[in-house]
Amino acid sequence: MDRRPVHPMAWIVWATSAGFVAFVTTDPVYLLLLWAVSWFVYAGHRVDAEHARSFRLFLTGAMVAVALRTALVFFGTVSAANTTFSFLEGLRLGTILVIFGTFNAVTDPFGLVRMAPRHFHEPALAAALALSIAPRTVAGVGRVRDAQRMRGIRIHGARALPALAVPVLERGMEEAHTLAESMDARGHGAGRRSRYRPQPWTGAAILIAVPAIAAAATFLAASVGGWAVLHPQTSPIVWPEADPLLLAGIGLLAVPGVVGRPER
Amino acid sequence: MTTRSALGLQTQAANVREAEARERRTVLVPGMRIALLVLANVIGLLAFVWPFLVPSIARRVAENHQGDGPWIVAALGAILLALLFLELGRGGLGPKTVALLGVLGAAMVALRLPGFVAGFSALFIVVLVAGNSLGPGFGFLLGCIGMFASGIFVGGLGPWLPFEMVAVGWVGAGAGLLPHGGSWRTRIAWLAAFGFASGYLYGLVMELWFWPFLTDGSALAWNPGGGAWMNVRHYLAFYVVDGLTWDTFRAVGNVVLVIAIGRPVLAALDRAARRMQLRVG
Amino acid sequence: MSDVLRFDAVTYVYPEGARPAIEDVDLAIAEGSFALAVGPTGSGKSTLLRASNGLVPQFTGGTFTGRVSVDGRDTLAHAPRRLADVVAFVPQDPGASFVLDRVEDELAYGMENLGVDPVHMRRRVEETLDLLDLPGLRDRSVRTLSGGERQRVAIAAALAAGPRILVLDEPTSQLDPQGAEDVMAALQRLVHDHGMTVLLAEHRLERVAGWVDVAIGFDHGRVRSGTPADVIGHLGSGPPVTRLGQMLGWDPLPLTVRAARAAAAGGPRPALPPRDPARNGHRHGVVAEVRGLRASYAETTVLRGLDLDVHEGEVLAVMGRNGAGKSTLLRVLAGIHEPSAGQVQILGAKPRPGVDVGLCPQEADELLFSDSVEHEVRATLVARGEAGGAGPWLAALGIAGLAARHPRDLSAGQRLLVATAAVAATDAPLLALDEPTRGLDPASKERLIGFVRAHALGGRAAVVATHDVELAAAVATRVVILAGGEVIADGDPGAVLGDSRVFAPQMTRVFGPGWLTPDQVVEALT
Repeated sequence: MDRRPVHPMAWIVWATSAGFVAFVTTDPVYLLLLWAVSWFVYAGHRVDAEHARSFRLFLTGAMVAVALRTALVFFGTVSAANTTFSFLEGLRLGTILVIFGTFNAVTDPFGLVRMAPRHFHEPALAAALALSIAPRTVAGVGRVRDAQRMRGIRIHGARALPALAVPVLERGMEEAHTLAESMDARGHGAGRRSRYRPQPWTGAAILIAVPAIAAAATFLAASVGGWAVLHPQTSPIVWPEADPLLLAGIGLLAVPGVVGRPER
Repeated sequence: MTTRSALGLQTQAANVREAEARERRTVLVPGMRIALLVLANVIGLLAFVWPFLVPSIARRVAENHQGDGPWIVAALGAILLALLFLELGRGGLGPKTVALLGVLGAAMVALRLPGFVAGFSALFIVVLVAGNSLGPGFGFLLGCIGMFASGIFVGGLGPWLPFEMVAVGWVGAGAGLLPHGGSWRTRIAWLAAFGFASGYLYGLVMELWFWPFLTDGSALAWNPGGGAWMNVRHYLAFYVVDGLTWDTFRAVGNVVLVIAIGRPVLAALDRAARRMQLRVG
Repeated sequence: MSDVLRFDAVTYVYPEGARPAIEDVDLAIAEGSFALAVGPTGSGKSTLLRASNGLVPQFTGGTFTGRVSVDGRDTLAHAPRRLADVVAFVPQDPGASFVLDRVEDELAYGMENLGVDPVHMRRRVEETLDLLDLPGLRDRSVRTLSGGERQRVAIAAALAAGPRILVLDEPTSQLDPQGAEDVMAALQRLVHDHGMTVLLAEHRLERVAGWVDVAIGFDHGRVRSGTPADVIGHLGSGPPVTRLGQMLGWDPLPLTVRAARAAAAGGPRPALPPRDPARNGHRHGVVAEVRGLRASYAETTVLRGLDLDVHEGEVLAVMGRNGAGKSTLLRVLAGIHEPSAGQVQILGAKPRPGVDVGLCPQEADELLFSDSVEHEVRATLVARGEAGGAGPWLAALGIAGLAARHPRDLSAGQRLLVATAAVAATDAPLLALDEPTRGLDPASKERLIGFVRAHALGGRAAVVATHDVELAAAVATRVVILAGGEVIADGDPGAVLGDSRVFAPQMTRVFGPGWLTPDQVVEALT
């Protein structure tokens, strides 16, 4: 099995295609199937506990989004039709969130930073740094809280907050100083950059990207050609359809679940 | 291993020539580029407030793509954001700014989940103090990058993300434009007042992105045929019902935090910026 | 051999500085040297190191006169990033200097910045991994590495761009003895086998003194270079064998245990050391009692069934490898960490943090939040409802003169003393210090040792977790060694340290078990 990581672009293609599919339809059959597909792909590629946690958060976020969007119906007249409409809109939003959750769990933020076009390199690097330093910051807060307890200061309420905030911030500032020195000394900003190990397009990457494009194309055709119902009627409410060709398209999006999986 | 890097030196020479033409080590924002930034921000503002200004076009859009509307506007917002970033980062931000953005962005990521009660989120204090200490340009960048990174971390992504980024960026930039006054009291007072106001302003602006798509004819909804002033009234009514209490938590929370830790934290940031010889802008 | 680094009449003042940090420095470092910068904190070592690659003054601002040239290039004419291919700088805290996540990517980062083409980058990365004995770690996330591994990765990352000179700021200060050995061995290989020039600043001279061939002594911004024996001898704060040599008038001054043994062979051997009454095993009242302690940290069981007593008047040194459980033990004693089994009692009751035990953490900076040293100590007093002033506590640590200073402006050693004062102000019966000697300069170390011994004499007790053998030798009245979650040695310092190969102080290695400090030896010989 090829151990090389999958080219991030393949994942971008997958996520964009899946996102596009979710965008053009409000048919709950397709959408819910996409939830399942996203979970399946995530399960095949997750590597560590941190990814698992982040995916769970996205899942929760998605469900909250569905709930909130559905609840928005209360701002107008409440009817079965309106509620269903709101719910389907929410489901669509939630689907996109879940897809993004999978994307987030299977890609490495630094891999994406390296792919960023030159002018976005620095902001992208800053974002990746923020993500990678955050666990240290959280741990630091715990340590400072303990340290202050051990000299008799309990952080209770707003009065004692400086005892918590200042050491954490100062530590962060020193680390920023060290980091900046290190970056400067190692040539940051010295001119045109090159890319270490431009990632090769492995077979796995192609097997992820191409079916995804095919899936998106199917749905695009359906949207333009109108030969399948992508937006089920809500007034009156009708049972949603499930066109077999479109179902197969969604199936193509599940291919990454079995392809290019990292060794554990 | 050779210790002489001939090939390295060759690429070096070429890079030296190219890059010397765009030397930039700080987040200095000179006059001309401020004008461009302002323009980009105005366009961004329009992306928020278009429902009040171009109702007839918007109505057609809303009727045909009622569900898609938010996404289209989001895409616009994303494009604008990209332009803003390109502009701000054009000369190269430099290692000091990138490192500080990383560390302070990490603080925002760390604070996004736990310090969260109704509309209040502790991460606002970070942009408020960072903007106030390190300048509006930095404050804006930090707001954007922090919301982006924390959004990834927390699963809070969606078509609202570009707006969140820009809105928090504005909070950071606004904090950087506040007067420092002659004394700490004045400085903290200004920051607390701004923290209070921005708590509401942020909510006011964020609710706006989906409000137009709730067309159902009620007195709280957007009415394309109604003219700007009527829509503003409708929106405010909607906001009072929907967002006011939520945002009060944020406004009050911001003030509390500014008063509780504003001074020592600002002092620490000022010192760090001085020690790092970061020219703020 | 040509000079790869030259300083000509260099004087530099920091932007907010009152005095020059380095003054009138003339220095030439030949290619292939292994050079050491030594001197008290604040004497200019860090500044000189950063001047070697242009960080001073281009990163730091300030006023700079004179000329520094690296491989012929003037550091004023080239930004630090343009010198990255000739001089590599490795800062003190490697964990904070990493930009990317995977080791391999981190190594490539510098070369990416310089636009080196991918084929050459690949080769360089491979070579550098081998050079620093890192190939097994290439896929690992830098966050999962040990201290020594991190330092070597930081060095590798700096080296990958192919510089001629490597500059390191206190590379072993955060490391345990094994990690420090690995790093020094790697540097030694670079110099001897690969013609690298290395310049490093270091406090813990016992580790490096024997490896280097030129030393640069710093005194208030002025430098003096020469042979290690010469320079370190003049400093008065060298490793124990050197201090011994100074006191006994040996010439040449020994820098290593080996040299000291040779020098001592010809002279009188000291008689067996008398038992120091303060260090004897006579037990007084019990302050802390630990029975059957089991504790975990991050999902692993760290302490398994530990029994321990700490008595009045004792200074207990807890020693052991990194990860042996020293910190966990201290935290359990302090009442911060819940044990999974067993009992811990301070004066007969469950320990209350900040009341029964005052614990100063490894990172003293985690405590400091006030804008003056005095306020910092007062914060502790206020928290326990005490109306008194900070004066006595500051005086006990010899830092009364720093009362009005901002803690963050002080050196690392001074900050540790401030943190210790803040913790001592809890007036707890048991004082605990976790690895206090990290990055500590000799003068602050002396003050700390004096304070801890006085504190214990006052009817209280102190526990110090450390892997600094010389500190244990100087301050402890009893030594305990932890390994595998259990106590494997417990007793009088002379016996315990004398019996161990890893933890033997230099005096023991020269004269045999029971000899702990140079002062002891000198006293016995005179």
